[in-house]
Amino acid sequence: MTPPTVLAEARWPEPGDGPPPPLPGFVHSAFHPLVAAVADRCLTRRYGARPRPAGNRTAIVLVSASGDRASAEHVRATVAAGGRVGPLFFFQSVPNSIAGHVAARWGLDGPVVCLSPTGEPRADAVAEAELLLYDGDADEALLVLIEQAPDGTPGEATAVLLGGGRRP
Amino acid sequence: MAEQEHLRITGVHALSALGRGADALLAGVLAGTPAFAPVRRFDTTGRRVTVAATLPDAGPLADELADAVDAACRAAGLDRTHRAGAALFLAVHGGPEVPALAANLARRCGLVDAHRVYTTACVSASTAVADAATLIARGDLDRVVVAAGYLVEPDQYALFDAGRAFAPDGAVRPFSTGRQGLLLGDGVAAVVLESASATAGRGASPLATVRGWGRAGDAYHPCQPDPQGRGLARAVGAALRRAGLPAEALGYVNANATGTPYSDAAEAAALRRVFGDRAGRIPVSSTKSVHGHALEASGLLELVVTVLALRHGKLPVNAGFLGPDETCPLDVITDAPRPAATGHALTLNAAFGGANTALLVGVP
Repeated sequence: MTPPTVLAEARWPEPGDGPPPPLPGFVHSAFHPLVAAVADRCLTRRYGARPRPAGNRTAIVLVSASGDRASAEHVRATVAAGGRVGPLFFFQSVPNSIAGHVAARWGLDGPVVCLSPTGEPRADAVAEAELLLYDGDADEALLVLIEQAPDGTPGEATAVLLGGGRRP
Repeated sequence: MAEQEHLRITGVHALSALGRGADALLAGVLAGTPAFAPVRRFDTTGRRVTVAATLPDAGPLADELADAVDAACRAAGLDRTHRAGAALFLAVHGGPEVPALAANLARRCGLVDAHRVYTTACVSASTAVADAATLIARGDLDRVVVAAGYLVEPDQYALFDAGRAFAPDGAVRPFSTGRQGLLLGDGVAAVVLESASATAGRGASPLATVRGWGRAGDAYHPCQPDPQGRGLARAVGAALRRAGLPAEALGYVNANATGTPYSDAAEAAALRRVFGDRAGRIPVSSTKSVHGHALEASGLLELVVTVLALRHGKLPVNAGFLGPDETCPLDVITDAPRPAATGHALTLNAAFGGANTALLVGVP
């Protein structure tokens, strides 16, 4: 089979960027705005306007070693203190939620896969995307690589749109 | 397609509130007595709902995962050499501790490495199985141990309670009128997957075959499923195509149904989208009504349930059923286990983010 090709790529921050814009419905953490911003930038570079037509079978592969650390630590501290967490933390308690936000916003109806990397994160993401493209459940794959700094500051994210890679 | 020639399930193990091991799980789901009880593992003061399905003597997750992998490998008849050639695919809730958990699990159990770690919420384990199937079918790997674990703990419990996801009446009633929500349950499972040649090469007998698999997204909402079930329907369609089986070959669907009003209706819509009126004649149950929702581990726990039920020839009940709901026009197994009419079944899972998976298994 032919290897997947890079259709578009983006980073956040790029020169001139500040923090990513707040994302309605998501609270407390920079994780979700960062994923949304870098995904939007990458998809806009390729497609300009959203949403994509139905049946595009574009997968989302979100790779993060620590996930949304800021929210997880807030929940842990609140629960340990005997408090009640806000309901929005439930809806953002797994990385699928922000992947689903991007998917709904752009109409990406391929598989949603979230991974904790076991090796180099980009290589892990490409390997998963290549598998989904080969297998035929996806025609394209949006990779999002994100890590937050241990102190909860926004960190960096990279998005890569891959295509091709189907078996002959 | 030829994938079904290549993938064998040769060993399984599971822990849930129904007990330890495959026999306890099968007996529990066939008895159909829900395992929900007041939570003793941690303080639930201030929570709206205070029940879950927990195994009282469950140890730390790392230990239970290692025990599950060891037990599944023993059940498969894998010796040390076989294990050393097996890759680990792990499905757990994400967090900073996960990479070390996976690496230590592989080392402790004598597996070659932690090949992949899935943190895709409630389709983590089923996605791992689908990916393992693809890689074995392609010839990249000969043997994969898929392990998955979730033990009910205070943080996720508090989040689900805050999100009003729990059933206030303390019962999970999938597809039923009057269903009020889900309840959590312990689940730790491991499954050994092998190519046909690797299985035959060591003279092992398969328990079951993974005939087909599919993964698809809803592109609908961050958390809620597409009410028309389009993503799940495409996952089921992909599984059927890979299996090369007609709809009438299916004798059972182990449903994702969590007992949540809108998501059960969405799943019913997906089944009707794929099968049309036939959807009302395929026996369906969600064993979450008995063992609870094991989150990242649910796909593997329910795969094990499905394999064991097919091999035993009896289909487990959907507990908690109060009566039919017009939004779920399905043939729900409600009163007693039903004989399996065929040797093929689907097990379905869905998650936040509109993620959907379907696994189609067969028994000899």
